[in-house]
Amino acid sequence: MFRLALCLALSMSTLPAQINKPVNITPPEPLVAKAGATVDQTLNLSVREGFHVNSDKPKDEYIIPIKLTWTGGPLETRQVTYPKAEEIKVGDQQLTVFSGSFLIKTQFHVADGAPKGTVTVNGKLRYQACNSEMCLRPITVDIPLTVTIE
Amino acid sequence: MKTLKSLVIIAGATLAFLFSCSSSTTVGAVRPVKDRKPAPDFTLKDASGANVRLSDYRGKVVLLNFWATWCGPCKMEIPWFIEFQQQFKDQGFTVLGVAMDDEGWEAVKPYVTERKVNYRVLLGDDAVSTRYGGVDSLPTTFVIDQQGRIASAHVGLIGKNEYLGEIQTLLGIKQNVSARLVPGAVDVYAASANQ
Repeated sequence: MFRLALCLALSMSTLPAQINKPVNITPPEPLVAKAGATVDQTLNLSVREGFHVNSDKPKDEYIIPIKLTWTGGPLETRQVTYPKAEEIKVGDQQLTVFSGSFLIKTQFHVADGAPKGTVTVNGKLRYQACNSEMCLRPITVDIPLTVTIE
Repeated sequence: MKTLKSLVIIAGATLAFLFSCSSSTTVGAVRPVKDRKPAPDFTLKDASGANVRLSDYRGKVVLLNFWATWCGPCKMEIPWFIEFQQQFKDQGFTVLGVAMDDEGWEAVKPYVTERKVNYRVLLGDDAVSTRYGGVDSLPTTFVIDQQGRIASAHVGLIGKNEYLGEIQTLLGIKQNVSARLVPGAVDVYAASANQ
């Protein structure tokens, strides 16, 4: 009984802090590029054990896909590449997900006449995570990326 | 040094306790009456645009389910709730679904129609979510007694029979022994998720 009470007290107080951030995003390294060049950026992500996030191409129309977008600065996003998703079956639902550690790669093109200097490009990562018993509400995380144009 | 050793032992014991707890959180089965707190009242709109107030259901047992169309475990429970609504609606029971989809009715209406949901579904908002402790994880379900008090709270998927038992207890219905022998769907769900 005491164990149950303690479990409940601890889980009620610590669960939100534990699970609300199921994905750890390593802050991206600053980029250095020349005007007119194409540069690659890799974002490192790690999903808490037991959780998964939906892939960029879920099979079910109701599922919220992971999506990385970049805005601001003289960089054009040419392509965002997600890893190959793993397929899992949850209940009667077939899901395509990412779990553990994975990378999202972005290819940028720096505008030809981009002025020299340092700018910040604003990344936004939207994702929705679940484990086998619950889902967390979708979240959008800001990812500032420093870019120096030489 | 001795203090450090004590701290390590305490931290270890705390972690051991945490990891021995399930990630889904069930606060009691049906709480004793003296331990029940009033369910925060709210007014939300249903699919037809009508205002629905929780306190309008005073006198009934209410299964208040926070869910979303993108939530897999929530979708496991919905057929059970449809069944409960059908089985107990004439005995002073109702299910109220509160959809937490950011896209609103555009996402919720087609799903509710497709799945032939036979109970009232309302569109949730942050204010109601806050009143019920934040509701960051779905499904989150409260079973509310006839006096409008929270008799049980569940965060995450639990077994169908656990809900059934709680509803029957609150309605004063003798529990069906054969129904309780059905394996908990939560086990099936967890097993398939680990495949």
